[in-house]
Amino acid sequence: MSIITRSPFLFRINTGSCNGCDVELATTAMIPRYDVERLGCRYTGSPKHADILLVTGPITARSKPYLLEVLDELPRPFVTVAIGTCPASCGIFRDSYSIEGPLDKYIEVDVNVPGCPPRPQAIIDGVAKALEIWKMKIRGQK
Amino acid sequence: MLNANIIHFFIFPGGLFAIFLGLILISIERILVARFQGRVGPVFYQNIIDIIKLFNKETLIPKDAKDFVFKFAPLFGFSGMLVLVYFLPIPGVYDGVKGNYDLIILIYFMALPAISHILGGGASSSPYAAISVSRELKLMLVYEIVFTIIGFTLAVYIGDGKGEFSLMEIIKYQQQNGYFLFDWKLWPAFIAFLIFVLATLEVPPFEVAHHNSADIMEGYLMEYSGAPLALFEITDALKIIVLSIVFQIFFFPSVIGGDIVINLIWFLVKTMFLVLFISLAHVCLASFRADQEFKFLIKVPVFLSIVSLILVTLSIKGLI
Repeated sequence: MSIITRSPFLFRINTGSCNGCDVELATTAMIPRYDVERLGCRYTGSPKHADILLVTGPITARSKPYLLEVLDELPRPFVTVAIGTCPASCGIFRDSYSIEGPLDKYIEVDVNVPGCPPRPQAIIDGVAKALEIWKMKIRGQK
Repeated sequence: MLNANIIHFFIFPGGLFAIFLGLILISIERILVARFQGRVGPVFYQNIIDIIKLFNKETLIPKDAKDFVFKFAPLFGFSGMLVLVYFLPIPGVYDGVKGNYDLIILIYFMALPAISHILGGGASSSPYAAISVSRELKLMLVYEIVFTIIGFTLAVYIGDGKGEFSLMEIIKYQQQNGYFLFDWKLWPAFIAFLIFVLATLEVPPFEVAHHNSADIMEGYLMEYSGAPLALFEITDALKIIVLSIVFQIFFFPSVIGGDIVINLIWFLVKTMFLVLFISLAHVCLASFRADQEFKFLIKVPVFLSIVSLILVTLSIKGLI
């Protein structure tokens, strides 16, 4: 069953990020320079197709219900990757009146990729680590 | 027990062979796109792994969806394409069903994948799917007209004015009188057919109904997961095979000798050229907006195919 872990579908959600991490995240697959497709990854537009959830941004009050909805819609098992400092600790927005983060209040975070923003190589490394964790989760489920 | 028809339907050239070949061709298209962009890309069997994974995943059905239609819509397109691969002759490899009117049946069946997209998206109760379905419906009406006119042109041409709707007759006529690819009267129809291929496969210049990274996300596939999604992907894979076979029947049914294996390799080489063209268009063309795409399709390919029809009619009358 380890062959199916070579086909992860990625879904990314922006929960109030400043767009820095989103730009870096988009470059890893969208712009010809960096290549997550080499790991078999593919970006999807729907959370129902996804195996790996990439979250950017501190969880703002406006985006929290949408994040919870996406977490409900993902088929199990999935892996959560927090991209950037914000979902890990809320970064410079911590203690603001409109921030409901960090991400691990709502879901167990499997991989943290710190940085403001993280380098594309670091993001690809984070996705590769998420694949290992996904493999372990599938084995645990069977 | 195993007679030839069952083998032709389930193993070769339909069924297993076509599904695996189609999935590998889609992966090769992804690799080619990656290489054009200076990346490495996935492995050549990536889409087969994707399908295996999707069959292993859980299938979610939304609460508001029409349950029956939602589950069985992917089967329309899948069964249509599966039948077509069995049905169509592959020049030099396989003779097909040899009906007298199989061109008309081909035109009917080519619309089935789009109809399954429309049914599935409509039943899934998602606003993204609703927008995608309305766009797909509009575009389908135009590009199916293009395909119908091209088929009609060829039928008129080989029947010398009377209309000959047998695909084997089209192949035989070209093998005796020269391929339509090198016939200047049918060059506009050839360009229109290439545009039809891009439009029906929904690769980038014509991506509005299935825009992965822009306004309507996954479109009609928004609510699908697990096995039905895998069926949609297999339908796309079979569609590439069907389009390649149709392209070769219509414009270039060349054969090398009488050996099946050599002809099969020659068929694969021609198919690779089609895949190369598709990935080249994928890389270097930007996407249309929905209204631009509709206008472009109704102006350019319809016009080109009608030009071919007029030229063919004039040549039958002996005027050119």
